[in-house]
Amino acid sequence: MTPGPENPLGNPLGGPAGGAPKADFSDVQSGSSTTAPATPAAGAGGETYTVKSGDSLSKIAKHHYGDASKWHAILDANRDQIDNPDLIQPGQVLKLPAQP
Amino acid sequence: MRASLMRPAVVLALAVLGAGACKKKTPDVAVTPPAPPAAPAAAPLAVTSVNLGKSLGPDKRVTSETTTFAKNDSVYASVATSGSAGGTLAARWTFQDGQVVDETTQSVGAGPAVTEFHIFKPSGWPTGNYKVEVMLNGAPAQSKEFRVQ
Repeated sequence: MTPGPENPLGNPLGGPAGGAPKADFSDVQSGSSTTAPATPAAGAGGETYTVKSGDSLSKIAKHHYGDASKWHAILDANRDQIDNPDLIQPGQVLKLPAQP
Repeated sequence: MRASLMRPAVVLALAVLGAGACKKKTPDVAVTPPAPPAAPAAAPLAVTSVNLGKSLGPDKRVTSETTTFAKNDSVYASVATSGSAGGTLAARWTFQDGQVVDETTQSVGAGPAVTEFHIFKPSGWPTGNYKVEVMLNGAPAQSKEFRVQ
């Protein structure tokens, strides 16, 4: 009956305090864009996207442009860091070109 | 007698001539041209507003401002900036328990601009209170709180 100090596995035990499962935000997708991108330096774009676990270029294209088939544009803008379009790494910062 | 009558007339004439001469010599009023408006000092980039919404217009402003979202909504933060210098904006999204949901940076050029940051969670947002802090060049600029229900 003694309540534990915390619930490390985040089991939804229903405890009012201290027992609430920790929210999982690992699948959050994010992005940004601006009407006034900074002057590109050495070809860098102003808009970037940080790859999250479970992302793919087509998923990013779908979310960002509303069209998964535009993943080629993201690939083209990131040739310097993507060798295999099927292999992008969480944490990788991709340049997102303007609406292709 | 005649000479004494003439004298005042001569004096008067000289006085009138003298006055005229003096009038002519009166220097023109120096009209100093108005100083040109001072050139505006270089204003650093500043965040003028932060608005939250579920969708964006082509100008990157939220189409309808709200602070209440559903579990499957995308959350957009539209950040207006102005200034004669560029800088770096960052949006740091946090949950009520302090967990960092996401942090995204965006370089912004000089001049009036609108920058959008957005987050989306395919599996749905946990209900609760969230906050987005907008940072400019690494320093907190403005923040907004919102709720997912």
